[in-house]
Amino acid sequence: MSNASDTHVVVVGGGGTGAAILYDLVQRGFKATLFERGELTCGSTGRHHGLLHSGARYVVKDREVGRECMDEVRILTRIAPEAIEANRGIFVAFDEEELAFRETFEQACAEADIPAQWLTSEQVLAMEPRLNPGLLGGVMVPDGTLDAYRLPMHFFAGARKLGAVIRNFTRVESLVFEGRRIAGVTVHDLRTGADETVKCDLVINATGGWAGRLAAMADIELPITPAPGTMLAHQGRLVNNIIERLRPASDGDILVPQRGLSIIGSTQWQTDDPDDCTVPDADVEFLTKAAIEMVPDFKETAYHKAWAAVRPLAGASSTEEEGRELSRDFDVRDHAKLDNVEGMLSLTGGKATTLRAMGEKTVDVVCDLFDVDTPCRTASEPLPNYRHFFRQGVLV
Amino acid sequence: MNERTVAVYRTATQKVSEFTVPYNERTTIIDALEYIRLQEEPDLMFRQSCHHGSCGTCGVAVNGEFVLACIKRLADIPEDQPVRIEPLPTMHQIGDLAFDPAEFFNEFPDDITYTRVSDVNTDAAVPEGMEHYERFENCIECGLCVTSCPVTEDWMGPAALASIHRMVEKSPHEADRWLDLAADARGVERCTKNFSCSRVCPTGVAPGKRITLLGAAIKKRAKARAAEGESDA
Ligand SMILES: Cc1cc2nc3c(=O)[nH]c(=O)nc-3n(C[C@H](O)[C@H](O)[C@H](O)COP(=O)(O)OP(=O)(O)OC[C@H]3O[C@@H](n4cnc5c(N)ncnc54)[C@H](O)[C@@H]3O)c2cc1C
Ligand code: FES
Repeated sequence: MSNASDTHVVVVGGGGTGAAILYDLVQRGFKATLFERGELTCGSTGRHHGLLHSGARYVVKDREVGRECMDEVRILTRIAPEAIEANRGIFVAFDEEELAFRETFEQACAEADIPAQWLTSEQVLAMEPRLNPGLLGGVMVPDGTLDAYRLPMHFFAGARKLGAVIRNFTRVESLVFEGRRIAGVTVHDLRTGADETVKCDLVINATGGWAGRLAAMADIELPITPAPGTMLAHQGRLVNNIIERLRPASDGDILVPQRGLSIIGSTQWQTDDPDDCTVPDADVEFLTKAAIEMVPDFKETAYHKAWAAVRPLAGASSTEEEGRELSRDFDVRDHAKLDNVEGMLSLTGGKATTLRAMGEKTVDVVCDLFDVDTPCRTASEPLPNYRHFFRQGVLV
Repeated sequence: MNERTVAVYRTATQKVSEFTVPYNERTTIIDALEYIRLQEEPDLMFRQSCHHGSCGTCGVAVNGEFVLACIKRLADIPEDQPVRIEPLPTMHQIGDLAFDPAEFFNEFPDDITYTRVSDVNTDAAVPEGMEHYERFENCIECGLCVTSCPVTEDWMGPAALASIHRMVEKSPHEADRWLDLAADARGVERCTKNFSCSRVCPTGVAPGKRITLLGAAIKKRAKARAAEGESDA
């Protein structure tokens, strides 16, 4: 058995995934440093749609992913209640075809332990009077709205409190090799303009849509394609529950209320450059129409903002030999096993909702690698409020 | 796409540098900054997260006006005007347009909550087991109000005081405790009723009005206590 405190882990990427990994690492006693090239959460994390997934959206395709989301909803509402508008989601049938999907949907929810309750059209309209009155009913599930920024900042607050070193505005420029082993990173600090080398025992690549670029620094080809999607926010909160369409997941089928906004999403296109997130005109038109179909009053509300976030689409799905498949939803790739490069793990996939689970499973792998035997505690300990991140003083 | 010249403050030179950026009717200041970072200045520092006015990270000064960079549209600035982007002046600057909001967050009392009862469709049916629908506060803690405030003495500032007033509204049974905090020497009495905070707020929190209401509640409480004291005597 080894001592975690002798092991220094560098996490690259300050999104939700990096935040949860960092928190779990220091909670289990590792020394850990995180580098983020911009402000924390400036990647996809702050920009996503803000749906706390009960798993219902995925459950017909994959029971395990559904179950995992539901577990995380239960945990997050306990450990970070201030980052969640804990209302419900309603998968609404607006036509006969959607109504016909009900049985498949309810069956899948039951198999994954996602509480689902059928509501007649009168019941749905009593809860959400502004929905298209032609609707035929809906299934209520425990979806909610999450604060895309404040949820991960809760994790950063916890990590900082436990001694993690967090360096925003510091870009990882290259990896430092000792033979075939990665032994550190060189970073460029935007505050000072200085470059420096930071030694470590392990690098965790949590750069989301940029993961292929970091892997390329070790001449590793990571099979992911950046795929951005658009969201459109109008001023005026029209509903309290998340409104989704009772059909297999598609574009423009989720309306998320958040603060005083109604946000419809999303779409998907592919790009070579994860930084290129310019919203296509056609997306705005398409999403406006999609929202009006569900909530006619959307037409009367004013445009607030259209923006896009990038998904790292898995180019090739992992198999047991290829990687260690930790979940059906995300992978931790140990490059020692697959690419003959020691000292780096890369994360791909996942959702904002499952950030804590990704942290847990990644740090389980780290514990295995370094022969550390400390169990994960992130599911049971409440997180400090996000404001405590800043209240610990100016970050240097 | 049209093009526009924008001037951005750089710490290294202590002055603004000019860049040409493409824009359409939806392009915001944050899009312009991202464009500059990707095309010309990879080291340009600015804060961003949500891109839709909910996180509160992206406050900047545009032609002297304090705005959210992700909401302020280039097309809303008349073409005959320059576009000059500078950091929020009162924040702890860390480079170019970026700041560290540690001091700002230190003013908030410890247990200010961030969710409240939803204010729309209030007659709607609520699922069993739930008392009401809930939502996040409008205040996104961007600090524009604090930056705009002309009070130069050390004080709690409009954002923290507005958060205290929200707690009085949300939990009237605990009003005393919150009013005590607001009655601090660094609290409501420092307000000069300029109301720049309410004018600059991007989400309609009206901190100025809330500070005035806190002041009135403190006075009323003092009067009631005095009257009680007299009748006891
Ligand atoms: C359109 C859309 C809608 C979505 N909606 C939802 C939703 O409603 N609910 C949900 O649960 N999930 C949603 N997701 C998924 C969610 O956004 C992602 O799962 C999550 O944000 C991924 O976080 P991350 O930390 O892995 O990546 P990111 O947040 O992208 O973090 C990666 C970070 O790495 C940094 N970085 C890159 N290169 C370097 C370097 N060289 N040095 C230092 N730092 C570097 C980047 O700046 C970035 O901040 C959505 C995704 C999309 C695209
Ligand atoms: S980026 Fe979140 S408020 Fe502007």
